[in-house]
Amino acid sequence: MPGNVLLEFSNVVKRYGETTVVDRITFTVAPGEFFTLLGPSGCGKTTTLRLLAGLETPDAGEITLQGRTLAAPARNILVPIDKRNMGMVFQSYAIWPHLTVFENVAFPLRVRGESRATIRKRVLEALDVVGLTGFADRGSTELSGGQQQRVALARAIVYTPALLLLDEPLSNLDVKLREQMREELHALHKRLNLAVVYVTHDQAEALALSDRIAVVNQGKLEQVGSPAEVYEHPHTRFVGDFLGRTIILKGTMRKDAGQSVVDVQGAGRVMVNGDISFGEGADVRILSRPEDISLLPAGELAPNQVAGKVEHVAYMGDHLEYTIEAAGRTLLMPASKRDNYAIGAGVRLVFDPARVTALPQ
Amino acid sequence: MSTITAPPLASSWPRLRGVRVAEVFVLLFFCLVMALPITFMLAGSFNTAAPGQPWSWGVENWVRAFSDPQTLSSLWMSFLFSVVRLIPSLTLSVIVAWLIARTDMPGGNAIEFLCWFAYFVPDFPLTLAWILLLDPHFGFLNTAAKYLPFVDGPIFNPYSFWGIVWVHLGTGGIWLNVMLLTPVFRRLGASLEEAARVSGANTFTTLWRITFPVLSPMILAIAVLSFIKGLESFNTELLLGLPARIYVYGTRIYDYLRQEPPAYGEATALGSVFLLVLFVLAFFYRSYLQGKKKFTVVTGSGYSTLRVKLGKWRYIALGGIVAWFLIMMVLPLVFLIIGSFMRRYGFFNISSPFTLAHWQNLLGDPLFIGSLKNSLVIASTTAILGILIYSIVGYLLASRKLVAPAALEFFCWLPWVVPGILMSLGLLWIFLATPLRGILYGTVWGIALALTINDSPVSTQAFKSGFMQLGPDLEESARVSGASWSYTYLRILLPLVAPIAVTVGMLNFGSALTSISTPVLLYSAESRPLSILLLEYSFTGEIERAAALGLLITGIICVMMLIGRRFGLRLTGPSREEAKPRGAV
Repeated sequence: MPGNVLLEFSNVVKRYGETTVVDRITFTVAPGEFFTLLGPSGCGKTTTLRLLAGLETPDAGEITLQGRTLAAPARNILVPIDKRNMGMVFQSYAIWPHLTVFENVAFPLRVRGESRATIRKRVLEALDVVGLTGFADRGSTELSGGQQQRVALARAIVYTPALLLLDEPLSNLDVKLREQMREELHALHKRLNLAVVYVTHDQAEALALSDRIAVVNQGKLEQVGSPAEVYEHPHTRFVGDFLGRTIILKGTMRKDAGQSVVDVQGAGRVMVNGDISFGEGADVRILSRPEDISLLPAGELAPNQVAGKVEHVAYMGDHLEYTIEAAGRTLLMPASKRDNYAIGAGVRLVFDPARVTALPQ
Repeated sequence: MSTITAPPLASSWPRLRGVRVAEVFVLLFFCLVMALPITFMLAGSFNTAAPGQPWSWGVENWVRAFSDPQTLSSLWMSFLFSVVRLIPSLTLSVIVAWLIARTDMPGGNAIEFLCWFAYFVPDFPLTLAWILLLDPHFGFLNTAAKYLPFVDGPIFNPYSFWGIVWVHLGTGGIWLNVMLLTPVFRRLGASLEEAARVSGANTFTTLWRITFPVLSPMILAIAVLSFIKGLESFNTELLLGLPARIYVYGTRIYDYLRQEPPAYGEATALGSVFLLVLFVLAFFYRSYLQGKKKFTVVTGSGYSTLRVKLGKWRYIALGGIVAWFLIMMVLPLVFLIIGSFMRRYGFFNISSPFTLAHWQNLLGDPLFIGSLKNSLVIASTTAILGILIYSIVGYLLASRKLVAPAALEFFCWLPWVVPGILMSLGLLWIFLATPLRGILYGTVWGIALALTINDSPVSTQAFKSGFMQLGPDLEESARVSGASWSYTYLRILLPLVAPIAVTVGMLNFGSALTSISTPVLLYSAESRPLSILLLEYSFTGEIERAAALGLLITGIICVMMLIGRRFGLRLTGPSREEAKPRGAV
């Protein structure tokens, strides 16, 4: 990645009065990369995007695109919105109601003073790309939500922006359409090879689309990495929780012949792979995804196994959900319908050392 | 299961029946006081006999009215005034609304409040004040201008076309336009402008290519609204137009009826034509708005943090607005005060030019005491009657259980189209021709009824939206808890809409106090209200006493409206709190 940086967003701070909405966020985006800002609503991810577009003014930090500084309050640099050459799709799409589909898409080219022939050619191309061939003369108020979204997308890519900004573009669509648009967005990104900064609170979208994900919480960047990295080795409790269900057990770190093993309060021992910074006797938590844990009937505990007891079973249709008591904690474990245990039965939780993360308590 | 035998309809029947009875009653009432007078007026234009006499049919009224060149010229004048006044008024109010809502100009809230305040200052005292300033003989500005070189005569004349247009730049309509347009600008979806900026458009391009075009339907709707209101304008035209023999249709009707004997026929013929014009306009206005519904929906939520930065221009803009307010509002009011304390207005050089005599004369005038009593009775009756009738109408319209909601809506909007003077003309016929003559003709009750009818559009709308916001849940949960409808109305609904009732009452009280066009045809010596007394003072040249009375009325209105504002008296849009930026996401 270094040496091949398109966008550099470094130590940017944005405050509204007393509250710091964006707190020293730093990341880079490579050319052609699909970069996602993921977080709950109110975490500052949309503000980060608006800072990029120039719709908000940072209080500190620097934003550099293609070697050109867009904003640097310390040096009194602030490139106006219309001079940043970005494409943006708004959450509400922001389709101008008084213009036709063609005129909506043509607008960015018109303000750039392109010739009529060029405008016509490129607008029709852009409409082709988003699958709206033949819609050029429609009034923009006659469009469905999905079509409006395509118009917004066409408008954002028609002038080949340096960076495409997408602000929760799928959140206003119904579930089926959302899945379809997700596929199309993926294909479109591959075809155009545009760098994209994508904002969403939907972890499934983020995992499916992104080259890298930045998880944001309360204005701070918690972790940046590939979807597999952040999902399987979350650096913080928040990242683990936000990206899906987690099973968390408390234990004590033991060093055993150069290996790191966590003693789960006498209920079992789980090995932890990778670079472990905890010393002997440290209090830790181990964290794993439920789908990486299998269930076995009670028996002799082998390494990486933890004993537990079934407290409750819920029938969920396509699977079962066990409430299991293990090492003083109550865990929710989805399981296949073939793993059939009665309430009160003893079970063993089998961990996969490659998919266990140790975190401080 | 077999034990359940009660018919399912039984529970909802009594309440539905109540709604039906109320609906029929209200519709009948509106037919009586609105449809009938208008029909009478239309039919009356073909009646060549005097009111009270047996009818005789003929077209003589129409022939006589329209063979008089003054009639056509008065219609033309109404139209001309309305158009000429619209252009500067709309331009100014669009600019001011944009400055308040979309730029970083300081003091936006204060300016909105000033507009709100200025809207309630009655136009009649203001017109009087402009006479004090601009009259060719004693107007202060003309006297002052004499000391300038190359000036040897009055340079201003308020009794002229441009005089009337000028005075209108400072009265109600323009301030109302600002108040109507500001929330429109404020509510425009922020992302529409932001999308244009990200697409590469600068501030100016965004304004011209996106902001104004998107808002054009709303701006046009407000333009048509103020055009119609302009056609109906009466007071200024009466006070300034009559001396110069500039007639608009309203003052022409007034003139017809002051002849001896009153020319009812010609007046109704002229009124009928004008009504037709207004109906056509109103029809296009409504259908145009309906056709544009999609358009207005798009301008949805989203507060813009993206205000246009005006730089040093923001102080110039603010200064311009303050100057406009000072010239159009403060200056005339100051001279109204000066005028009311001058022994002889305009003569500053005589010994002891200032006196309290006019105030003493006014307050000691038995006519004043009588008129004040009449005005208070009329205004209170109007306020109470309005609350009673329109809260029921509003409730019925919000209940969605009506058989003919369109008919009821139509009646409620009718006075919006029919000018006060025409409604009074129609009511005059009813008052004269029915057994109610003794109670209503020339009495305070007749005037109060006419004023109440005039108030229906705004009052109904206020109550309707109030009840709609409550929603059916609050009422239904009270009913489910076992409360009767009347108990529910008293303990749940009425307290919840009480602020609206206070607001409606205040507004109607205020407009009853200042209205001239409605009572001018209906009053008699026993029922003369203050506004008519003001008219008489100014026509008989007692300009200082008229100034004192005008100030008094203005003072009463201002105090009432300031009290009303504490109860949430607003005319448009969400309150300031709701318009604040939402937390950044």
